[in-house]
Amino acid sequence: MFKLMKLEYKKHKLFGYFPVVIMCIAATFAVVALMGWGSRNEIEPMFPDFQSFMSLADIFIRTVFLIFSSVILAKIVIEEFRTGTIQLLFTYPVQRKQLMKAKLIVVFAFCFFSIVLATLITYLLAYLISPHLFLFEAPLEWNDIMLIFPATLINALMTAGVSLIPLFFGMKKKSAAATITWAVIIGILINGTISNGSEAVSLFQFIWIPLALGLLGLAIAYQSYRHIDKRDVA
Amino acid sequence: MTYILQTYQLTKSYGGNDVVSGVDMHVKAGEIYGFLGPNGAGKTTIMKMITNLIKPTSGEIELFGNKLTATSVEVLKRMGTIIEYPVFYDRLTAKENLALHCEYMGYYDKKAIEQALELVKLHNVGEKKVKDFSLGMKQRLGIARAISTKPELLVLDEPINGLDPVGIKDLRELFKLLSRDFGVTLIVSSHILAEMEQMADTIGIIQDGKLVKEVAMKSISGEQTEYIEVHVQNVKRAVYVLEEKLKARNYKIFDENIIRIYDGKLTQSELTKVFVIENIEIDSINKKHSSLEEYFINTMKEKEIQLLET
Repeated sequence: MFKLMKLEYKKHKLFGYFPVVIMCIAATFAVVALMGWGSRNEIEPMFPDFQSFMSLADIFIRTVFLIFSSVILAKIVIEEFRTGTIQLLFTYPVQRKQLMKAKLIVVFAFCFFSIVLATLITYLLAYLISPHLFLFEAPLEWNDIMLIFPATLINALMTAGVSLIPLFFGMKKKSAAATITWAVIIGILINGTISNGSEAVSLFQFIWIPLALGLLGLAIAYQSYRHIDKRDVA
Repeated sequence: MTYILQTYQLTKSYGGNDVVSGVDMHVKAGEIYGFLGPNGAGKTTIMKMITNLIKPTSGEIELFGNKLTATSVEVLKRMGTIIEYPVFYDRLTAKENLALHCEYMGYYDKKAIEQALELVKLHNVGEKKVKDFSLGMKQRLGIARAISTKPELLVLDEPINGLDPVGIKDLRELFKLLSRDFGVTLIVSSHILAEMEQMADTIGIIQDGKLVKEVAMKSISGEQTEYIEVHVQNVKRAVYVLEEKLKARNYKIFDENIIRIYDGKLTQSELTKVFVIENIEIDSINKKHSSLEEYFINTMKEKEIQLLET
């Protein structure tokens, strides 16, 4: 299985995305940090503490990498079906299920690890920069980071599950555009925040919503290869 | 006789329509099996069933003596295929594509890629990206990919499509080489008769999803009759001369003024001489032999008549 994943990685030149991932992380951090820094002279600063700083950064990270994952999904799954190279793959002495699983695990793993990496880098940058440059009011202790780290992992896992939902829409028409569009819609829908001025709420905060959607994503992934052995590849 | 591939009443239908029905194929080890039929006859469908890409509605396929099931994959290791048209990962180079193929096939001979590219004369462009290849080059690269893992059975769907005459000749030589010297069995489909005639050992003629006939080329060559074809102005007089003076009984009249004489003893010069003496104007005279084309068309016609009768 690991070998199949490595072949996917090689075949689609996924290492080429690494600089893009780093750029996305830098950009999200820059946006959130600028918001904090820009509000330094206001009566009420943008972020009272590290938690509120991270809650906005998290929203951006999740949305960005959910959409990024859909690009990977479109490339290694949808495009193979669209261009017909899947037919070639299915003439190899490898079970079709294994091939599909390898592809989907790559997408899942990409989403999970990129979110974890992005969050860790954001922590680190906040930790290094906040003593010198105003980002949020309360000083940041190392302990604050340790406190929210487990939640990061859970969030990343759920988002990785959600990242497979666009597969359903993409496979219907074998369209990369549809896959990415649905990722954007889902990303904005669950991370978008509604606020009445004093309180803000987003769907992601109700733990069962991202959890259910994450499971739905996994179910869609499972459904996509469950009967693939018996299906005709046109 | 050992058969590498046999099918039993192989049938595939889509929405109640039989695209392929009741096909019994027999492919011997080491031969070139030509799959001949007009476009849309079901050649690709059968080949897809052989490579397990699509599943038969009913019937069985036996490959290397084992029944092919929905989850058979090990057998694919022993096969090289091109179905419809060869597809590649366009952004990778020719060599990278072949290397990837070898990895998936579980074949690890570093030299194999170079050798395969050399056999199809693409060794100069191995580092080029496939998206810059022409159709003919892709076709040849597809063949290189199929043969790179040294398979025992090659299933090639229309491999000469998009090739220039020199390319076609090279491929024909390559196929013969693979078959004669390396004992590879090839199943090659085409709608071009002349090509099949020149390379196949056995020909399966397929029409409307049915395998109309399966014949060894040797036996067709035996059946092939030579004849003399004359264009004359006055057919009636010519026939009279043929029957009375030359005592020829075995002839046929085509169109208004063409006579085909199948009498083996009669020579062209003899015929010309007598016709000239009898003052019969000859427009042209040729010695011909009926080719596979005629055999093919005749077989198809016979089948149609049979179908009408039943």
